[in-house]
Amino acid sequence: MPVLQLDGLTTNYRTVRGWVKAAEDVSFEVEKGEALGLVGESGCGKTTVALSILKILPSGARIRHGKIIFDGRDLVPLSDSEMRKIRWKGISIVFQGAMNALNPVFKVGDQIVEAIRLHEDVSKGDAMRRAESLLELVGVEPSRVNNYPHEFSGGMRQRALIAMALASNPQLLIADEPGTALDVIVQAQVLKLMRSLKEKLGLSMIMISHDLSIVAEVCEKVAIMYAGHLVEYGSIEAIFKEPLHPYTQGLLGAFPGIKGERRKLTSIPGQPPDLLAPPAACRFHPRCPYVMDICKKEKPLLEKAGSGDHYVACYLY
Amino acid sequence: MKRVLNTVLLIVFVITLNFIIFELMPGTQASISNLVQNPRVFDPTQVARLLKLYNFCKEVTITGPHSYNCVPTTIWDRFSAYFVNMITFNFGDSFQTNKPVLHDMIQTGRLVNTLTLLGVATTVALLIGTLLGVVAAAKRGSIFDSGSVTLSLITFSLPTFWMGLLFIMIFANRLQLFPSGGVTPAYWAIKTPDLLGQFLTRVQYLFLPALTLTLFFYGGNLLLTRATMTEALSEDYSNTGRAKGLPERTVLFKHALKNASLPLVTNAALSFGGLLGGAIITETVFNWDGLGFWLFNAIGWKDYPVMQAMFFIIALCVIAANFISDIFYGILDPRIKYE
Repeated sequence: MPVLQLDGLTTNYRTVRGWVKAAEDVSFEVEKGEALGLVGESGCGKTTVALSILKILPSGARIRHGKIIFDGRDLVPLSDSEMRKIRWKGISIVFQGAMNALNPVFKVGDQIVEAIRLHEDVSKGDAMRRAESLLELVGVEPSRVNNYPHEFSGGMRQRALIAMALASNPQLLIADEPGTALDVIVQAQVLKLMRSLKEKLGLSMIMISHDLSIVAEVCEKVAIMYAGHLVEYGSIEAIFKEPLHPYTQGLLGAFPGIKGERRKLTSIPGQPPDLLAPPAACRFHPRCPYVMDICKKEKPLLEKAGSGDHYVACYLY
Repeated sequence: MKRVLNTVLLIVFVITLNFIIFELMPGTQASISNLVQNPRVFDPTQVARLLKLYNFCKEVTITGPHSYNCVPTTIWDRFSAYFVNMITFNFGDSFQTNKPVLHDMIQTGRLVNTLTLLGVATTVALLIGTLLGVVAAAKRGSIFDSGSVTLSLITFSLPTFWMGLLFIMIFANRLQLFPSGGVTPAYWAIKTPDLLGQFLTRVQYLFLPALTLTLFFYGGNLLLTRATMTEALSEDYSNTGRAKGLPERTVLFKHALKNASLPLVTNAALSFGGLLGGAIITETVFNWDGLGFWLFNAIGWKDYPVMQAMFFIIALCVIAANFISDIFYGILDPRIKYE
C-alpha cells in the first residue's frame, strides 16, 4: 500500500477575478521508502500540491475535488484539529532554507523543541537533547542549538530545517525546493544529506523543484507538472531516457549536460499561461510544436506509454 | 553607550530650542517696559526685584520714582541660567499661583491625573488595537476585517475635541450615565466616601475622557498591526509553524506577532508625542485637571514658567519613550545588538 496517494486533487484559489486553477486533477502515489520528484516551472502548482497535502493552504484556497489518502485515510474531510495530529508526526515539510522558514526571533533549538513537544510528552531537557542529536544527524555542531537563525549560514539553515522536519519521525517528508538559492557546493551537500537520510531512515519523500537534475540526485520517480496539470509521470530513468511529453522534452533540452556532446540549449517558446483563464483542454497547446486540433478540444488523460512504469498526458502517444 | 550620548545631545538640543522659542516670543520687551514705565504699579523696590528675578537686568539701581538704571543681561547669561535651571528641574514659580511649578505639577495631583488618563487610554488602545489587528490580519478579506478597518479609520480621523463633545452630549447630557467633566465630584471636599465608593466614582469620571483618547489612539495601532501581521503571516516561518501542527492561535500570537511587534514598538514611542497633544485637548474638553489642561490654561495666562516646564517635560517624555523603545528592540529582535 502506498504511503500517500493523490487521487484527482484539485486546488483552486479564489480571487476577485475568479478561481485560479492552481492544481487540477493531480494524481500520483508515493510508496514506502520511495522518493518522488515534483518538477515544473515557477507557478505551475507544485507548492500548492504540497500545501494541499498538509492542508495549510492560505485563506481563499480550496481543495475542490479529489482525495489525499495518507496511511489509508483520506485527509480532505478531516478537521483542523485532526490534521494537526497528522502534521509533522505523519507528514512533515522542509521549506527553502534561504527564506525565513526558521522564525528569526527564536533560537533554533527552541524551534526544534517546540516541534518535538507538540507531538510527544517529553520534558524540555530531553527534547533539547533530542534536538542536539538531530542537528548532529544533519551535520551541524550540536552546541549551535542556542544560536538564532541569523547566526547560521544558508546551508546550515537548510540542514537545521531538515533536522526539525525529522523531529517527530515522520513517515513522509516533503521538501519544497531544498537547496534552492544555495551555492552549488552547499546544494550538493544538502542533496547528499537528503539521500543518505532517506536510506538510513527509510523515509518516503516528495521533493519539489524546478530543476530536473536536482530531483534526479535523490528520487526514483518524477512527476512533471505544467500549469496545474500533471503531464508526465514515471521512473526517473524512463523520463530521462525517453521523455515523451513535448514539455518534458523542452525542459530537458533547456539543461546542459556535463557528459555527452556539446549542443545548443533550447528554450520553450511562449510564456506560462495565466491560471485564471488557462488554455482549454491541453494547457500546453499554445506552446507545443506538435499541436493538433484535438489538443484544443479535449483534455488528454494520463495514460501508460512507452516502456515500464511511464505515464503521459499527450495525444501523440 | 552611543545611544546614551545621543540621548544627552538630544536633551541639550531640546533645551536650546525651547530657550529660543521663548526668547522669540513677542511680549518680553513689552512686559519690561510695562514693568518699568507703568506709573500705577509697584513701588520701585518691587520693580527692581522683579527685573532681577526675571533676569532682565544684572544690576538695577533705582534712580527715581519711575526710572531705573539697568545693566541688561546678555543672551548668554540668560541661556546659561535657563540651561542650569532646566537640568536641575528648577522651574521657578507659576505666574498664576506664585507657587513653585513643581508644586503645582505634583502636589496638586495633576501629574497623577494625567498619568492615570494616559496610562489607561494607552494600555487599552494598545491591547485592543493589537488584538483586533491580529484578528483582522488572520481573517483578511472577511467582514470583520473590513469592518474593523473602516471603524478604526473613522475614529482615527475624527478630531478628539469633536468626539469628546459628542460623548458629553450623548452620555452626559442625554443619557446622564457619566459626569460631563472633572476628575472627582465637588462634594468630596466636604465628605469623601469609602475606598470602594471612591474607586467607582473615579472610574465613572475617567470613562469618557479615556474612551475619547482610546478611540483616537487604537486605530493607528490596529492598522499597523494588521499590515505587519499580514506580512509576517505570509512569511515561510508561519507556514512552518502551521505545518508543525501548531494551533493557529500559537502561530498568530507567538510566531507571527513577535516578528510583527517591532514596528508596533516604534509606533507606540513615536505616537507618544501625539498622545500628549491629544491629552491637552481631551483634558480641556472634559475639564480634567491634569497637565494638559494646566498647560492650556498657562498659555492663556502667558504663564511662562509653567509653559517652559511643560515643553521641557513633554520633550523629555518623548525622548525617554524612544530610548526605551530602542532597548525593547534589542530584547525583541536578536538580530539587533547594541554595544
